[in-house]
Amino acid sequence: MIKTVDLKKTFYGRGQVVYAVDGITSHIKPGEVVVVIGPSGSGKSTYLRCLNGLEELTSGHIHIDGVDLADRKTDLNKVRREVGMVFQQFNLFPHKTVLENLVLAQTVVRKRKKVEAADKGRALLNKVGIAEKEMEYPIRLSGGQQQRVAIARALAMDPKVMLFDEPTSALDPEMVGEVLEVMKQLAREGMTMIVVTHEMGFAREVADRVLFMDHGKLVEEGTPEHFFTNPQEERAKLFLKQVL
Amino acid sequence: MDARTFLSSKVTKKANIHVNSYRKDLHWRLLTILILVTIGLGLWVATSKVNYAWRWNRVPQYFVYHHEIVKRANYDSRVIDVEAIGDSTTVTIRNQFDELESFTVDSDTVQVYPDESLFAGDQIGSTFKWEIGPLLYGLGVTLWISAISSIIGLVIGLITGLCRLSRNITLRQLSIIYIEIIRGTPLLVQIFIVYFFFGTVLNIDRMAAGIGALSIFAGAYVAEIIRAGIQSIPKGQMEAARSLGMNTPQAMIYIILPQAFKRTLPPLAGQFISLIKDSSLVSVIAITDLTKAGREVITSTFATFEIWFVVAFLYLTLTSVLSQVISWVERRLAVSD
Repeated sequence: MIKTVDLKKTFYGRGQVVYAVDGITSHIKPGEVVVVIGPSGSGKSTYLRCLNGLEELTSGHIHIDGVDLADRKTDLNKVRREVGMVFQQFNLFPHKTVLENLVLAQTVVRKRKKVEAADKGRALLNKVGIAEKEMEYPIRLSGGQQQRVAIARALAMDPKVMLFDEPTSALDPEMVGEVLEVMKQLAREGMTMIVVTHEMGFAREVADRVLFMDHGKLVEEGTPEHFFTNPQEERAKLFLKQVL
Repeated sequence: MDARTFLSSKVTKKANIHVNSYRKDLHWRLLTILILVTIGLGLWVATSKVNYAWRWNRVPQYFVYHHEIVKRANYDSRVIDVEAIGDSTTVTIRNQFDELESFTVDSDTVQVYPDESLFAGDQIGSTFKWEIGPLLYGLGVTLWISAISSIIGLVIGLITGLCRLSRNITLRQLSIIYIEIIRGTPLLVQIFIVYFFFGTVLNIDRMAAGIGALSIFAGAYVAEIIRAGIQSIPKGQMEAARSLGMNTPQAMIYIILPQAFKRTLPPLAGQFISLIKDSSLVSVIAITDLTKAGREVITSTFATFEIWFVVAFLYLTLTSVLSQVISWVERRLAVSD
C-alpha cells in the first residue's frame, strides 16, 4: 500500500541543517493500523506529511499504490485524493458550515453532484455523531466536535489511507475520548491508518504495528505487545519509562 | 448590616452609578455641541468681517435647471390655427412653400395670434425641460471614474498581490517594482505622466488616461492589502485544502481568497474611499469631475464659498454611502465568526 524507501527530508534554515527524516524504509500493508510514536522533534509529523506530499522529500522514494511521489511526473493532487489527512489544529474551513466543509472538496475535486455530496456528507456526520450540527459554523463547535468533522471531511473523499497528525494533542482531555472512539471504529472497519500520537493507550489497543522514531530515524518497530513490554533498543526503553 | 439590606444597598448604589454616568455623559455631549456651535459662530463672525455676500439661492440651479427650448418659424409663414389643449398649445402655420407645419408649445408662452404673418426666425413659443446642471453632472463623472477605477484597481491589485506571493521570481520582482514605483511617486505626477506621455504615445483620450492613472495607483495599494490578507490566513488552511486533493488555484478560489477578502474588507474600503477623494486630481487634465465642475460654476457665479462647501458635502455624501455599504457587507460576512 505505502512503501517508503530510504526517505529523507532535510530542512535548511539560519545556517543550520536539520535532518528531520533521515532514511526511513517501511512498508504499510492495506488494512493495517500503524502508530508512529517518539519524542518531540523526532520527525514523526514530517514523515507523515511527506506521505501525502505536503513536504517535498529531499531524497528517497514513497510508493503509494505503486505511484512514486518522488517522480516529477506524478500528479500530487491525484495522490492526495486517495490519502486523507487529519491535522492537529483541525484546519476546518471557518467560512463554510460543517456540511459545506464536507461537500466542497467532493464537488470541486471528485466532481460529484451537490446533492450526492451532501447525502454522503450527512451520512458521515451521522457516523461521527454530530449530524445535528451540519448547519453550524466550525467556530461554534467544541474542539472534539471540530476534529470529528475534520475526520468526516477527509473520509468524504473516499480515501484509501488515512493519516492522523497528532489528532488529539490540541484537545481538552475530556474530548480526547470521543475522537479516539471514532478512530477506533474506523480501524475496526478495516481502514488503512497511519497515526502519529502520544496516546499510548490507543497505540496498545488499536495498532497492528508501532513505529518508534528518534532523530529522524526508525529506531524500533514491532507489534504493540512486543514494543510496550519488551523493547530492544535503549532509546525506546528510556522513552517508555518516561511516558508510561 | 444583615444580608438583605446589604444586597439592597448594593443594588441602589449600582443604580446610582448608572444615573451618574449617564449625567456625566450628558455633560460631555453638551460640551461637544458647545464646541461645534462656537466654531460655527466664529466662522460666521469671520465671514461677516470680510463682507462676503452669501448667495445660497444661486446654488440649486447648478444641480438641475429648467431649460427653455424656444420654437421659431423656419420660413416666412402665416398662422392658421392656435388650439389650446390644457397646458399645451398646438400652433399650425402655413409657410411660404404652402406647406402646413405645426408646433406644440406651453400655453403661457404662446406669442402668436391666428392669421398673423411671421418672418423666418420669429418666436412662436417655447417648452421647458429639466436638465442636469454642472454640479450633478460632475458628481456623476466622479462617481463613474471612481467606480471604474476601483473595479480595475481591484483586478490589478488581486493579480499583483498574487504575483507578489508567487514562487516565480520574475513575477515577484515585477510586482514589487510596480508597487514601489507607484507608492513612491505622487498621484498628481502619475496623472500627468499617464496623460502627457502615455496619452501621446498610445493616443488615448483624457478620460481613459484619468481612469488608467487612478486604476494603476489604486492597484498598487490594493495589491499590498490583498497580500497582507492572504498571508494572514493560517498555513493550515492551504494544507487542509491541498490534502483534500485541491490544486493551488482551487484552494485559492474556494478557501484562501474568501477568507482573505473578509479580512481585507475594512482596509479595502478605506482604499476605495481614498480613491473617490483622490479622483478630484483628474480635474488637472481637464476632466469635468465634481471638482472641475465646482471651479467652472465659481467662474460664472463668484459664489466661491458656497460652491466649495457644497462640493465638499457631495464628496462626503459619496464616501459615507460607500462606507455604509461596506459595513453592511461586513456584517453579512460576520455570520461565521
